[in-house]
Amino acid sequence: MPDRIFVRVGELAVARADSILATVGLGSCVAVALYDPELRLGGLAHPMLPDPSMARPGGNLARFASHAVPMLIERMVRGGAQPRRLVARLVGGASMFEAFAPARDPLGLRNVDAARAALLSAGVRIAGEEVGGNHGRSLRFEIGTGRVLVTAVSFPDVLL
Amino acid sequence: MIDVRELDALQIDALREVANIGAGHAATALSQMTSRRIGVNCPEIRILRLEDVPEMIGDPEEPVAAVLMKMLGDAPGRTVQVFPGASASRIAGILLGRENVAFPDGFGELEQSVLKEVANILVGAYLSALSDFLGMVLIMSVPALAIDQAGAILTSTYLNFGDDAEYVFCIDTQLTVAEQDEPLRAHFLLVPDMVSLRVILRALRLG
Repeated sequence: MPDRIFVRVGELAVARADSILATVGLGSCVAVALYDPELRLGGLAHPMLPDPSMARPGGNLARFASHAVPMLIERMVRGGAQPRRLVARLVGGASMFEAFAPARDPLGLRNVDAARAALLSAGVRIAGEEVGGNHGRSLRFEIGTGRVLVTAVSFPDVLL
Repeated sequence: MIDVRELDALQIDALREVANIGAGHAATALSQMTSRRIGVNCPEIRILRLEDVPEMIGDPEEPVAAVLMKMLGDAPGRTVQVFPGASASRIAGILLGRENVAFPDGFGELEQSVLKEVANILVGAYLSALSDFLGMVLIMSVPALAIDQAGAILTSTYLNFGDDAEYVFCIDTQLTVAEQDEPLRAHFLLVPDMVSLRVILRALRLG
């Protein structure tokens, strides 16, 4: 049985082959999975807000996509990853109650945009996305293969 | 802005009492609708870190039906009713005169609308009791329903409404429907905006 590590809201984790990084119940949060295929090293972040402008100063910066992405890249590099080999996959960023979400710029998509911007500025390529819409998602990131399996209630599984 | 971590024991007791009055009326309404005995747990005042919201009522991956309504008027906020699959299935079944409704696959337009109507009646009863007790005008919006993972629903009821990004607050009352084998539970969450919490405490002469 591979080792399964759950990454909760505002957490980061890095793991090697034989592990599964998982996160469940993603709504408007965005999960960022990073992978170094040569080293078979994977990392997962689970931020819930785009950036700290909506929060009081201090506290855990991994709650913000703008900070969680560079923090995760740094953890991967410390584990031996090469930044230019990294590929990213993004999951989440939904608007669960569409009727009550602002029509323009819902939070989920702002989270996704903040993650994309942070990846772009670090030069990390995005290999796959399963984002937006109005349903929740869970994901299992199998580090051995680098594949990310996305599951949802009443929607088919997606393999990224 | 009120810091929810600074609420004192007397204020928490008073808020619990307010919820009790609302939930009592909601339970009576549910009992009349379903012809079942409805139990009401002592309301819990939950003050938790936003990071802990996904697990606040159980497994974050469990599919649930949730009905969200905005509360408008003197104390704006939200109410969220969470029906775990078994409860959603049984309540829809009772009201539609069927044995059970498969969850989540059996929830088409009709079944969803039944659940929204149940939520409408419960929130109506809850808020009218609160209005009378607090001497306030409290109005509810139309309901929005989601059948999805509990964690995704719960975080979304906080994150999309400009709440504090550190600590959040809600009053959680569990209703249980008496059934032969096992009681079915549902959660009634009242989530006042932080400004409303102050308004409510003032109306109770505790703020």
